[in-house]
Amino acid sequence: MSFLVVMVKEIVDNLRDRQTLFYALLFGPVLLPLILGGSLVASFKQLSIDFDEVSTLSVVNASSAPNLVDFLYSNNIDVVDAPDDIDQSVRYGDTLVVLEIPEDFSEALRNASPAPLTLHVNSADKKSSKASRRVRTILNVYEQTINSLRLQHRGIDPATFNALQVIENDVSSEGANGQLLASILPFLFIMSMVMGGYYLAIDTTAGERERQSLEPLLSLPLSRAAIVFGKYGATLAFVTLSSLLTAISVYTLFRVFPIELLNGQIRFDGATVTRAFLLASPLLFFISALLITVSAITRSTKEAQTYLGLMMIIPMAPFFVLQFLTVRSTSATMPYPMLSQYQLLESAVLGNKIPWHHIALSATGTLLGTALLLALASWLYRRERILS
Amino acid sequence: MIVANDLRKCFKRPGVRKSAKNSDIVAVDNVSFTADDGSITGLLGPNGAGKSTTLRMLATLVSPDSGTATIDGADVSGDVLAVRKQLGFMPHNAGIYPRLSARENIHYYARLCGLGKQQAQERVGQLIEQLDMKGFADRRAAGFSQGQKTKVALGRALVHRPQTIMLDEPTNGLDVMATRGLREIIRQLAGDGHCILFSSHIMQEVAALCDHIAIISAGRIAMEDTLQGILTRTDQTDLEDAFVQATGSATTEQDV
Ligand SMILES: Nc1ncnc2c1ncn2[C@@H]1O[C@H](COP(=O)(O)OP(=O)(O)OP(=O)(O)O)[C@@H](O)[C@H]1O
Ligand SMILES: [Mg+2]
Repeated sequence: MSFLVVMVKEIVDNLRDRQTLFYALLFGPVLLPLILGGSLVASFKQLSIDFDEVSTLSVVNASSAPNLVDFLYSNNIDVVDAPDDIDQSVRYGDTLVVLEIPEDFSEALRNASPAPLTLHVNSADKKSSKASRRVRTILNVYEQTINSLRLQHRGIDPATFNALQVIENDVSSEGANGQLLASILPFLFIMSMVMGGYYLAIDTTAGERERQSLEPLLSLPLSRAAIVFGKYGATLAFVTLSSLLTAISVYTLFRVFPIELLNGQIRFDGATVTRAFLLASPLLFFISALLITVSAITRSTKEAQTYLGLMMIIPMAPFFVLQFLTVRSTSATMPYPMLSQYQLLESAVLGNKIPWHHIALSATGTLLGTALLLALASWLYRRERILS
Repeated sequence: MIVANDLRKCFKRPGVRKSAKNSDIVAVDNVSFTADDGSITGLLGPNGAGKSTTLRMLATLVSPDSGTATIDGADVSGDVLAVRKQLGFMPHNAGIYPRLSARENIHYYARLCGLGKQQAQERVGQLIEQLDMKGFADRRAAGFSQGQKTKVALGRALVHRPQTIMLDEPTNGLDVMATRGLREIIRQLAGDGHCILFSSHIMQEVAALCDHIAIISAGRIAMEDTLQGILTRTDQTDLEDAFVQATGSATTEQDV
């Protein structure tokens, strides 16, 4: 079992390398999910309005509309006095929005003529727009209440004026937005796999040649396959570790900040993340083989870094391409490594049903690709050119 | 015991098409010599003469274009695993792992050569003793001096008790004391009955150490004999003059 000896040595050796550890344990599994998932959570929090949250609203001339103030109060909004210079204050963000009630507000209401209200808002400021949306939603409800009271007063059923009742039923689980959100998981998984094995693969192949430790190694009485599979095993271990950590940190992130995405269509709960990890697992073998083979082809660690750096675009490609083109998940796309996992993981995140033959096709195609790459790597190591 | 017969090896000239005339560099051409058990054989030649290429062919790292060679009866282009089992090869550069300690470096090779954990530990302990490495055995190799690196590399080459030992310019970068120490170790190994092939471009060193000398120049063996034999045949008293005489011209070094 010489390949185990090689594997253990490469793992121990690389555990002592800070760069390898940083990329395998911190960059892919922690920093990327925090940056991507964190900004997702943050932007989500910014856009969604929490009507249960108590907040204050600056109102000019509140005493002219005591009923409105009560209504606002019952909707968790406390009315406070407005600043002197309204425009200035809203523009500089000291006050988010200001509601101005004119003197003749009550009179207009009584006369059943449109009662004017002015809402001062800074539309360039997201917080201000958000606050104004909340106020307008509450004002709309207030208006509807008054309307139906008036109609009832005159003996008319308020429903008469609702000529249409439009119910929106969004069935597109593959809507552009949903897909972008759902593709975050495959992106994070694939990136963490690549980053997890990147430095180890380079160090054990191109690095070994550059340190000139390959020549004595190859003159030992052991097969070249044992050497290749030992290095492959070490890379696989790091790739697996890195993506497992990523699964854990994604799960933790969305557990600490639970957000409801697309009406709960998108989930990052334990079951989903586990399912996604299992669907992505054939990629562990494929990406490890890809890393080893590409860096075995190159002549130096610099060259290996350049090649593999360019290769980083591959895991990103489906992420961007699938945003613009709607490539349907079909049996035709399933045999392709990376592309199929992107689609499968998106489906998993969106809670779609995945046909078993898609899973089988994806795993088979990916593992076949792995076998081809490993055969290529073994062949490279049997050539004498591997030394120079 | 090493027997080389008419070994020849060409390399493609980088950046030249295969079909072009002169597309090949002949690194080694008709190299034949023998190295016996229990004696030290020196492969003496200037830079670029083909010493490393010859040793690489014997170590089964590159295959000869033509010619044959055997190590203790095993053919280098046939039974490569048998050859590698007999052979301890220390290439030109130490090539040790900087993040492993001296002990771990040697232990790794012991395990790769098929020794069990316990056996490997014992063997590494012996080598640390034999090569006087106790002072730095458990330090990581990253900052090792040239002499310390050479000792680790030599320990690695000896770990599986090979009958035949090949050292490619082992005294490179060593100071006088370290060189003497290394010579002592090499003499001891030969005294224990090992076959030692030792390449160098330094005449004094070969003269001081080797029982048997093969002079290689421009990829060919110019002369092969004992030191005394070479001196008598060329009618010289000094190996340096004998070397110039044997290789036929003083310009060999610039040629290659
Ligand atoms: N992989 C290679 N590709 C192309 N040319 C090579 C290769 N290896 C060796 N050569 C050429 O073969 C010739 C012999 O090289 P070799 O390394 O065997 O010499 P050497 O005697 O070991 O020299 P030195 O004392 O400098 O180590 C040189 O001209 C060298 O340029
Ligand atoms: Mg050399």
